[in-house]
Amino acid sequence: MTTRILVVEDNPLNLKLVRDVLSFAGYDVIEAQSGEEGLRAAQETPPDLVLMDLQLPGIDGTETLHRLRQDTLGPEVPIVAVTAFAMAEDKERASRAGFDGYIEKPISVRALPGQIEAFLGGGAG
Amino acid sequence: MGERSERTTRVSRASSELNRQLRDAREQAAASREILAALGRAGADPGDILDTNLEHATRLCRAQAATLYIPNGDAFLLSRDSGKIPDEFRRQVLDQPLARNRSSTVGRAAEEMRTIQIADALNDAEYGRSDLQSLAGFRTLLSTPMILQNEVVGVLSMWRTNVAPFNTRECELLEEFAVQGAIVMRQDALRRALATKVEQLEVLGEVGDAVGSTLDLDEVLDQIVSNAVRLTDTDGGSIMEYDESSDSFHVRAASGSSQALLNELRAITIDRKTTLVGRAATGHQTVEVPDLSAVERDPHLDALFRHGWRSVLAVPILRGDRILGALVIRRRTTGSFGPHVELLETFAGQSALAIVNARLFGELQTKTKELEVASHHKSEFLASMSHELRTPLNAVIGFSEVLLDRMFGDLNERQDEYLRDIWNSGKHLLELLNEILDLSKVEAGQMVLEPSAFSVATAVEYCHAMVRERATSHAITVTVDVAEDIGTIEADERKFKQVVLNLLSNAVKFTPDGGSVAIRAYREATDLLLTVTDTGIGVPAEDQERIFESFQQGRRGAPKEEGTGLGLTLSRRFVWLWGGRMWLESTPGTGSTFGFSIPGVLQSDDATSQDLPVILLVDDDRASLDLISAYLDGSPTRVLRARDGVDALEVARKKRPAAVVLEVGLPRLDGWQVVADLKSDSETAAIPVVIATDVDDRARGLALGADAYLRKPIGREELMEALKKVGAL
Repeated sequence: MTTRILVVEDNPLNLKLVRDVLSFAGYDVIEAQSGEEGLRAAQETPPDLVLMDLQLPGIDGTETLHRLRQDTLGPEVPIVAVTAFAMAEDKERASRAGFDGYIEKPISVRALPGQIEAFLGGGAG
Repeated sequence: MGERSERTTRVSRASSELNRQLRDAREQAAASREILAALGRAGADPGDILDTNLEHATRLCRAQAATLYIPNGDAFLLSRDSGKIPDEFRRQVLDQPLARNRSSTVGRAAEEMRTIQIADALNDAEYGRSDLQSLAGFRTLLSTPMILQNEVVGVLSMWRTNVAPFNTRECELLEEFAVQGAIVMRQDALRRALATKVEQLEVLGEVGDAVGSTLDLDEVLDQIVSNAVRLTDTDGGSIMEYDESSDSFHVRAASGSSQALLNELRAITIDRKTTLVGRAATGHQTVEVPDLSAVERDPHLDALFRHGWRSVLAVPILRGDRILGALVIRRRTTGSFGPHVELLETFAGQSALAIVNARLFGELQTKTKELEVASHHKSEFLASMSHELRTPLNAVIGFSEVLLDRMFGDLNERQDEYLRDIWNSGKHLLELLNEILDLSKVEAGQMVLEPSAFSVATAVEYCHAMVRERATSHAITVTVDVAEDIGTIEADERKFKQVVLNLLSNAVKFTPDGGSVAIRAYREATDLLLTVTDTGIGVPAEDQERIFESFQQGRRGAPKEEGTGLGLTLSRRFVWLWGGRMWLESTPGTGSTFGFSIPGVLQSDDATSQDLPVILLVDDDRASLDLISAYLDGSPTRVLRARDGVDALEVARKKRPAAVVLEVGLPRLDGWQVVADLKSDSETAAIPVVIATDVDDRARGLALGADAYLRKPIGREELMEALKKVGAL
């Protein structure tokens, strides 16, 4: 079965970019443009990994993370934050909030598939 | 025999008279010496000297009593006395002082300014103080004036209760005592005047200090007005502040004034055109009213009069020609303020300074608040702008990469070239954006330094690697020389690399093909110095300062200027944050050397802190590092930090810490590997390792050789106990 990745990102261009890159790398991508959408999508089709922007309209990344963990996803599913570059506070906030890791913006097209793979590997082992 | 005996008696009488005179002369000389000596002694009480004076006069002139009278207006009051004086006499003379007229020897001596004797007070037609005579019982009276600069400052007097006029010698003796007494009184008056001046100066100094240091205007003005009242020995006063918009004065501070009066003064309008205060302020001149009952009173003066005030003085408080207010001083009695005007004008000057200071401070506070708001808006704007700009840029860069990586098919040469241009431009914009954000953070004082221990050589090598490709393609030789005595330093590694990389890429960029670039790191005492020298085109002297300013690339005219123009500015600001400096030495046509220093990051050879046990904290989360450092604060240890596994190993090998406190999840080399490496190396195997992590795998940690395993969150007690158990504390 193909690995399913839920991408929660409010900017449609960035969402499209991540979707294309991950699809190209062979992942099955589910898109969500808000925390609420992400929660619904995760319930319909549970993903193997969640990639989520910290700054989201409506309920934010941290809140979405808590609700995902509480209702839908087991602790074995990595949830990774996407944080703005050079925002030390964001990174600290991400690790304090309980994300399994973070990926810095700007997302590197070349590095992203490898980063995702590492998180999936780490989650499994 | 009888005749002889008579002669003998005469001779003997004459001789005893001579002896007596001789003895008197000796005693007199001794008394004079004593008084002169006392006069010369610092700190001698003038009252004591005068008392001694009177005692000597009584004894040497064989009088029953001697007295000293001091003028008070037109009368003379008893000041001091010696000998037999009945208390009733003292009371009576206090009640009915001696007049400056012929009714007493004191009055006559003062009037005629010469020594006066009445042989028998009961037998003198003009003597008019039989009241005193009957109380004291004197008959012969002698008075002599004490004169200073043609003015009678006192009268010395003696009496005998029998009729026995004082002889010439005794008169002269009293006159001599009068001269000495006058000198004493003058000295005392001078000393008092000096003390008053000193006190005034001290108070003025204190008020001046308050004006300079206290920003609470009311407090300063209260101090000024109360001191002004105290030093001028008046009864009350106020400081009025002038309000330009209403062209009137209102009470700002007061002393010795009842609440009822103040309420009344606040209720009325003290306008500039029609009041005494206004007249003083408008005329720039001190105005006084010695008797409030005798003048036409404006509402202000009328209120004062009704509350029992009888004389008033108004001193304008001015700043140049501008009216700030007035200092008003009042008495409950009538009379002129003459001698105090100068002092009060000084107080008014100080009030002016205080008011101006307070107004300036108020304006400054308003401006500061406005600036704070503006700065806050700017920060918010920059933060949101950078987010808004970054998001589309990410898409620009990302989609270019997708296409450049041929994810969706091949490209022709021109498409590839244009895509590279798009990608390069996007990257450039992103860099610019990040630098603008960094710079605004530095300027707003919000830049947070994230210190950790790292190897200088490794960091420099990392930067070298970043420019290697470009240098090679332009045949530029890059040499790296990090002095051997420089190991790890504790600083913000990311910013350190940013600064070095900036200098290095500039050097490579501005050096012609075939040139060379040299990086050198060395120590000066405990400072780290790093220089980058190139054989480039150099910077003309006139551009050497400008080049550090924003968006100035100088006239270095590289063939392709791709810098942001902010790199050097930002680098220098980072160096300043570390307390260091950045400099440039350059000869156009020959090359440039850019250098910077970070003070105090290297240990001196004889540092005592080196004797303290080192605890190495390894964690990539700054909050965790700060927390554990805080726990160790105050314990006799020196804390070093590392933020990844590779640095941790290097620091551990070089510093031989007393313990390593280690997180498992680390960049570059994870904590498991760090423990394994430390424990398998005979050099470091003995270093205790305390794993402090949120990973729940105690068995694995202990199997690898960790000495203790703590799960986050970790309390202070828990940590200290673990460090004690492993022998680090």
